[in-house]
Amino acid sequence: MESLLSVENLTKQYKDVVALNDVSFDISDGITGILGENGAGKSTAIKIVLGLLEPTSGTAKILGELASENITVRSRLGYMPEHDSLPSNVTAAEFLTHMAELSGLPPTHARSRAADTLRHVGLFEERYRPIGGYSTGMKQRVKLAQALVHDPAIILLDEPTAGLDPAGREDMLDLVRKIHREFGISILFSSHLMADVERTCDRIIVLRGGRLIQSGEVKSFTEETETVYIEVDTNKDRLIASLQNRNVDVSEAEGGIFVEGSDESVYDHVRDALVEAEAPLRRMGPRRRALTELFERDGDDFSELPTGVGS
Amino acid sequence: MTTSNQQAKSQNGAEGTVFDIGYQHYDGPREGRNRARLSVYKEGLKISLGLGRGPRAKVLPWLFIGALVLIGAGMAFAAITINRIAGDGTAEAVGLPSHSDFYGIASIIMFIFAAISAPELLCPDRRDGVINLYLVRPLTGTDYIVARWASFMTIMLVVAWLPQIILMIGLTMGAAVPADYLKDNWLDIPKFLGAGAAIATYSGTIALLVSGFTTRRAYASVFMVGLFTVSTPFTFGLAQELGGTAGKWLSMFNLSNIPMHVNDAIFGTTSGVTMHAPAAEFDTWILVSWFFLWTLLPVGVLWTKYRRLSV
Repeated sequence: MESLLSVENLTKQYKDVVALNDVSFDISDGITGILGENGAGKSTAIKIVLGLLEPTSGTAKILGELASENITVRSRLGYMPEHDSLPSNVTAAEFLTHMAELSGLPPTHARSRAADTLRHVGLFEERYRPIGGYSTGMKQRVKLAQALVHDPAIILLDEPTAGLDPAGREDMLDLVRKIHREFGISILFSSHLMADVERTCDRIIVLRGGRLIQSGEVKSFTEETETVYIEVDTNKDRLIASLQNRNVDVSEAEGGIFVEGSDESVYDHVRDALVEAEAPLRRMGPRRRALTELFERDGDDFSELPTGVGS
Repeated sequence: MTTSNQQAKSQNGAEGTVFDIGYQHYDGPREGRNRARLSVYKEGLKISLGLGRGPRAKVLPWLFIGALVLIGAGMAFAAITINRIAGDGTAEAVGLPSHSDFYGIASIIMFIFAAISAPELLCPDRRDGVINLYLVRPLTGTDYIVARWASFMTIMLVVAWLPQIILMIGLTMGAAVPADYLKDNWLDIPKFLGAGAAIATYSGTIALLVSGFTTRRAYASVFMVGLFTVSTPFTFGLAQELGGTAGKWLSMFNLSNIPMHVNDAIFGTTSGVTMHAPAAEFDTWILVSWFFLWTLLPVGVLWTKYRRLSV
């Protein structure tokens, strides 16, 4: 698969603070999440990719170009910043038309694209209202729309759900998924919220303290484990005791119990224990690893790294 | 791509179909950096005149433009009336204000217009963060500030020239033989164009420079107006006190008079505002060089500041 974004040995140092430390990754078609805490280096990486910051060393090519050397490549990029970046006294239609022209579209095309894009983000009816009167969720949609209005090949979203309530966050994540699945536009999605990345992205890149910790397919991080999760209606304690009597490694979990076992015999033990404990079974199945565990597992090198500053 | 349709009946009873054709990729022309520059320039013109904004944004610029036009029209009306009553050439004979005096009368209005309009072009973009969306497009900081400067210079030139053009038309049409008046006075045209360009460039550039150092429009406007109103009595009083060459040099720091010395040099007269200024005794080349220093230096500082601007 062709690489849309290629980062090689990227380092960015501010005096004595290393914001990015020898980071390399490639991004191809799809939704890729950059996951990391505040200060992990996500925004620094995005700014270098956009050509707005010079790296201390290494390269960041997007669509095969260095954006700092060939700024025309930016006409095929979309960027949604984390912070406020909208004027208050112009209408969304006027603002988007201007943004489309700034990306190189002639005025008539820009006007038509602006109206279409506002329809796609659900703001068509509100397009002639000044942006200053919009809600936070609507403003986030305008920010997304301006990144989309010129039909870019790839969009870089910096914390797109920041400041949104749960419903607004859900809507924004739906829009992000729609942009890739229905519009065919690739996305780099930066977030410190693991749940957002897990639900939206195909691949992730995990940064901590300016270092690349993990990268790969989201499903490879959330694969099935050898742990079986069991939920019963009643007699949970009796079930645990019965399993322990059968020398099964069991631990209590919120709402149910975890049973460790790599072979089929563990299911026989569970069946017998359920009968013995007279515990009606509600749910049973292999447990999937949550992305949050990336930051919880002990022993991995990333848990011992210092946290950097500068994103 | 999603495709749904909605059946609708037209007024004559025939059935029509409205198609939602989903997201359409853009395959029209992309005009790159030049279109982006032109868009910033056009937007600058609209902001300066309050076009595409609410009614409040239009009040001040049009009030000042109207005032300047009224001065030009009033001067023409007075000259025509006197010439009609007392005979052709009377207005000039009695020393009624004309082209060479216009900027002496109107400069304070032009300075205030610049002080109020220039911050609108630069402060909100940084205050609202919109500049972040400009700089991630095929546009550099230099492109942005040059386009904004060019748009404001266009407005300032129109503001400076329009009343003079109205005055010229009035004086010509009011003369007994318009063709003779134009033949005798055509040299006033390049003179007022030159003097107008000087005052427009000077006041516009200083106002943009002040605006480039704050995100608050009110601060920039008040500082600019204060700079021009305080420098006049301060330098005048102190220059009179000191006398001699030191007094003359101090008088050079009367910021309101700097472009007026150029006006005097172009028309070969001494206007009312520079009549008593010790600096007027300097050679013309010193006064003109001083004007260029005070115009080009702010251009350089402004460019240096925006060239390094980053998101």
